[in-house]
Amino acid sequence: MKTVGVDVGGTFTDLIYLDTATEALGIHKVETTPDDPSIGVITGIKSLCELNGVTPSDVDHVFHGTTTATNAVLEAKGASAGMITNDGFRDILHIGRHQRVEHYSIMQELPWQSRPLIKRRYRKTVGGRLVPPTGEELAPLDEAEVRAAAQELLEAGVDSVAICFLFSYLNPAHELRAQEIVQEVMPDAFVTTSASISPQFREFERFTTAALAAFVGPKVGTYIAGLEDALRSLGVKGDLRVMASNGGVATPRMVTENPALTLMSGLAAGVLGGAWVGEKCGRDRLITFDIGGTSADIGISVDGVFSETDARSTSIAGFPLLMPMLDIHTIGAGGGSIAYVDKGGAFRVGPQSAGAVPGPAAYGKGGDQPTVTDANLVLGRLEPSDFLGGDMGLDEAASDAVISKLATELGIDKHEAAEGVLTILNANMANAIRSRTVQKGIDPRGFALVAMGGAGPLHGAEVAAMLQIPEVIVPPFPGITSAMGLLTADLKYDAIRTQFQVSTACDLDRVNRDFADMEAQLTERLADDGISASNVTFSRSSDLRYVGQGYELKVPFPDGIIDAAGLAEVWTTFHKVHAAEYGHSFEASPIEVVNLRVTAIGSHSKLEKLPARSGGSLDDALLYTRDSIFREDGALKTFETSVYRRDALPVGTTFDGPAILLQKDSTTVVPPGATAQVDPSGSLIITLEGRT
Amino acid sequence: MTRIDPVTAAVIQGGLENIAIEMGHKLMRMSYSSIIRESEDFGAALTDADGLQMCECKMSTPLQSGPIPGYVRNVVAVLKDRGDPICPGDVIMHNDPYGGASHGPDVAFCVPVFLDEVLIGWSVTTAHHLDIGALSPGSCGIVDAVDTYAEGLQFKAIKVYDRGQKNEAVWHILRANIRAQELVVGDMEAQIESARIGAARFLELVQQYGHDNVTAAFHELMDYSERLMRDAIRALPDGDYSATTHIDGFLDDPDPTRSRLPLVVTLKVRGDALEVDLTGTAPQIPDKPINMPLVGTVDCAVWLTIRSILLDSVTYGAIPQNSGLTRPITIVAPEGCLANPIFPAPVIARFCPGNQLADTVMKAFSQVVPQQVSGGIGNLRVVAISGLKDGNHWVHMEIMEGSYGGRYGLDGMDAVDTLYANTRNNPVEDIESHIPLRVERYELREDAMAPGRWRGGIGTIREFVFLDDAGFSLEGDGHAFKPWGFDGGADGHVASLTLVRPDGTEQALPSKVPYFKVNAGDRLVSYGPCGGGYGDAALRAPEAVAADVAEGLISADKARELFG
Repeated sequence: MKTVGVDVGGTFTDLIYLDTATEALGIHKVETTPDDPSIGVITGIKSLCELNGVTPSDVDHVFHGTTTATNAVLEAKGASAGMITNDGFRDILHIGRHQRVEHYSIMQELPWQSRPLIKRRYRKTVGGRLVPPTGEELAPLDEAEVRAAAQELLEAGVDSVAICFLFSYLNPAHELRAQEIVQEVMPDAFVTTSASISPQFREFERFTTAALAAFVGPKVGTYIAGLEDALRSLGVKGDLRVMASNGGVATPRMVTENPALTLMSGLAAGVLGGAWVGEKCGRDRLITFDIGGTSADIGISVDGVFSETDARSTSIAGFPLLMPMLDIHTIGAGGGSIAYVDKGGAFRVGPQSAGAVPGPAAYGKGGDQPTVTDANLVLGRLEPSDFLGGDMGLDEAASDAVISKLATELGIDKHEAAEGVLTILNANMANAIRSRTVQKGIDPRGFALVAMGGAGPLHGAEVAAMLQIPEVIVPPFPGITSAMGLLTADLKYDAIRTQFQVSTACDLDRVNRDFADMEAQLTERLADDGISASNVTFSRSSDLRYVGQGYELKVPFPDGIIDAAGLAEVWTTFHKVHAAEYGHSFEASPIEVVNLRVTAIGSHSKLEKLPARSGGSLDDALLYTRDSIFREDGALKTFETSVYRRDALPVGTTFDGPAILLQKDSTTVVPPGATAQVDPSGSLIITLEGRT
Repeated sequence: MTRIDPVTAAVIQGGLENIAIEMGHKLMRMSYSSIIRESEDFGAALTDADGLQMCECKMSTPLQSGPIPGYVRNVVAVLKDRGDPICPGDVIMHNDPYGGASHGPDVAFCVPVFLDEVLIGWSVTTAHHLDIGALSPGSCGIVDAVDTYAEGLQFKAIKVYDRGQKNEAVWHILRANIRAQELVVGDMEAQIESARIGAARFLELVQQYGHDNVTAAFHELMDYSERLMRDAIRALPDGDYSATTHIDGFLDDPDPTRSRLPLVVTLKVRGDALEVDLTGTAPQIPDKPINMPLVGTVDCAVWLTIRSILLDSVTYGAIPQNSGLTRPITIVAPEGCLANPIFPAPVIARFCPGNQLADTVMKAFSQVVPQQVSGGIGNLRVVAISGLKDGNHWVHMEIMEGSYGGRYGLDGMDAVDTLYANTRNNPVEDIESHIPLRVERYELREDAMAPGRWRGGIGTIREFVFLDDAGFSLEGDGHAFKPWGFDGGADGHVASLTLVRPDGTEQALPSKVPYFKVNAGDRLVSYGPCGGGYGDAALRAPEAVAADVAEGLISADKARELFG
């Protein structure tokens, strides 16, 4: 099978080609075309095919990571959207949770008020009301009012509509009927419902998620349709699959119907790729650590399963997003992070970044602020003449000047300042990892850190040392892990049913019925996508909490028909999960089942392994030695450091740090005291044992 | 003291902040009652052995974390007087409003941290509890408590764990004297666990970096915060700046000295120091609980307002909240006034007066830094709703939001908690799923904006229908006095609360209502306050007026009347 992965980033569109039969593999990079990213995608696929001697019509699958939806929200350039909701609740989107973003600020703005996804003038209310616990109808839907509202929205030129009723997660009937009516009146509009986007309680968050879908819907639909057309014109007959935030891929139809699925997908592919690499090294407890120019993204994978966010922790541009998604923690720390002395005299690094333009001073594009990249260069950890495979030279004198200026401000030595920049950055990143591990009862000392992104392999070993993580895995192509991750993804769809059932009086029939319904619904969905039932696996889970709590924990549920014993096991697991997460459990308390969930995975053939390299020797890979500076036993010391060409290192080679490895998409630092080995899978494994 | 290099200081400071966040995160997620988990009315902080605050959880509410140093200082003093040593394994409960606590329902659990048998710090969580055994159900709207004894149980440095041994007697007393005891005790256990986690993490940090280094980093952090505050004060012209606003008092009381109460603030700027003098503020009301503890409420209200204006986090970024920030500020309040009551004057309903005091501080600042303030804020109101089901109490608390006044270059924030409060509302879908209430309306008021060049924020309308017989009590403000307009902007709009019976009869309620029986079918209709306008309405951009008309916030006729 011939597959192409194409991931659109802010600056570059990364591509990877893989023939699973011949194990032929090629990577490629083209510039992103922000106005219409499909142009870059098509150009890239065309040249990728040429470079690898394959005709586009032979490509079986194109896996795609897109930021179209994300950018529409971040840049506040979405559709003119409307909303139809219950009488009396016109302003749920505007009031939010009545909480300010900042505790200590008079001049702050609230995103949901200062840049509303749906303006009040386009929020219409209609009669009709459902009530808990079953979603029973208290007042019938006023269909005439729905029709009139749709007519007004049509006349106002609105091009998408979110239909959002209270308690629709218990009973979608009113939303679905209203959707039919609106579609009759507005046949060209994108019309969605809150329960189809995210059937979970908490109206502000669900309505906002539906509003996000309406905001990006027309743009995503146009983009996906345009891309499919362009692919066909290029001769590609294979299917297009689009990366979703939950770590799976979805069909164009699925993404077009629920465009909110892709809002956080940019990060998902990266961690998938990182985890895949780690698993190929035989490691099953992994922290993926992806550092680019402005941010670091952290994900945790145990036994091939990624942690997922809970329903209350994800937001985009200040808007809550109620969607199943991988738990990826992002902090503002990267190669471009600016180091400075603030108004109060404290030494800080980031989150402000010099970005790609002007970039670090070393780029020579006018950057005059000291950045992490400049600090790495001053310490001799980057190669000025061979950065990004020699595509770009680095200006050592410029870095030296900005770091020296910082050192003067701080009253310390230049190298101390440079190393300080790295230590503060690394400590920030270590704290971020701690918040996802130690604080959740996970001991990072049993994990391997997968260092990726352009800057991950520069910092991975020192961050790991701070956390006493014993080993660091550097993928074969650290800079294009996202594109590679696309090739490892299955189709993945989620279903959810809100319950509000209590352990002391749990209606097992309802539980079994809801699981069966969800599985039938997902099977049908995947069958529509051409996945046969034999290739579908389900994973059941639930969101549980002690009665009275407001935050749920995800606990697995058994397959098949569940009996009382099976249920009892679930409660026991919950107590354990609670204790692991918070350090305590309340065994005597009753448990509330908030949601039941099913995730369906439709498997298809995907990336199995990367081609192995053989031949050559360590000596052949050695380019030269240079001086670089590291801290040892508390003091900064200069080390004679071997510089190797990464792609010339044969499998099985072992060497000690300090060493620097150059390759086109990244630079790897193996610090003094660490040992590195090239794994048969092509990754480099840095062992830190013995180093503190 | 050890000097510390800037790199290590930054690393340790990040570590401290991380600990406070973890404490708050766990407390919020483990707790049972919506007042903690949804409204986020809790605090989490670390202090040194003397009670100087090192860090606070950024998710916590300022009025909960702010008082923690005061709790610790009083716990230490009380135990010393008693001759009761502080030992490893102790967990100490404290809620004395005349001993550092903000008011009785805000109970602290303090865990001492020892390094080699020497006390080096405290890990503390505070939280607002649903019930603390006062005269009527719920812990808000106890507006008829005649003294602190009527406000509920008082815990003055009580060891609920003594050297690791659970003091079962205290827990039995608690369970026997508090309504909704399962929820309240569960929340308290969650507080203890979170404080213990904080203590363990703090010890790990000290062991990793050394106590001297951690202490030095923390002092550096305090000096840093202090430097920023002094710089900001120094930039202000020396002088005295006074402002007066009023709180409602008991509007149904015929005695005007109990129904209309002035709050007076004079800022005395002297170089890089600032004195906040509250002389002129109404005398305390000896038998009604709207007096404000000086330590725990008044100080937090003053500090918070000053930093929000002078070191606005939108401009300054996140400045660490610690005891250094408050060093340049002195607060003077004559003994026996509303802002410095004498024991046992009751204080349980001090929340709204305290927030109005914060607003008065802002009004005084409006004369000095007019581009960094808002017009008068709409204050909050808190209602406790309760009932009996199968012999057990259910208690639910609603914090009803206010709104901000207009700001230089910006309209006021609509429908939001103001100044020292920053809680979250309860989702309608959560309320109706768990208690016998139906919410029938939650939206913005229309035709109720304060005109100005930048208009005031708009309050909400929220309507509840009781589905079962129940009771409610209310502590609020802003039913009598409009939020102030600034620089030619108009005053805002007052709040109101109306009880509507099933037969349609209406009863307007004052802003303070002690426990009040209602029946199934009764309805409460709340109109939230609207903040004051900023600047002359005639200068408002015509597009902005047109947009408010298009959004349906104001009718075209009304717009013509107000903006010309």
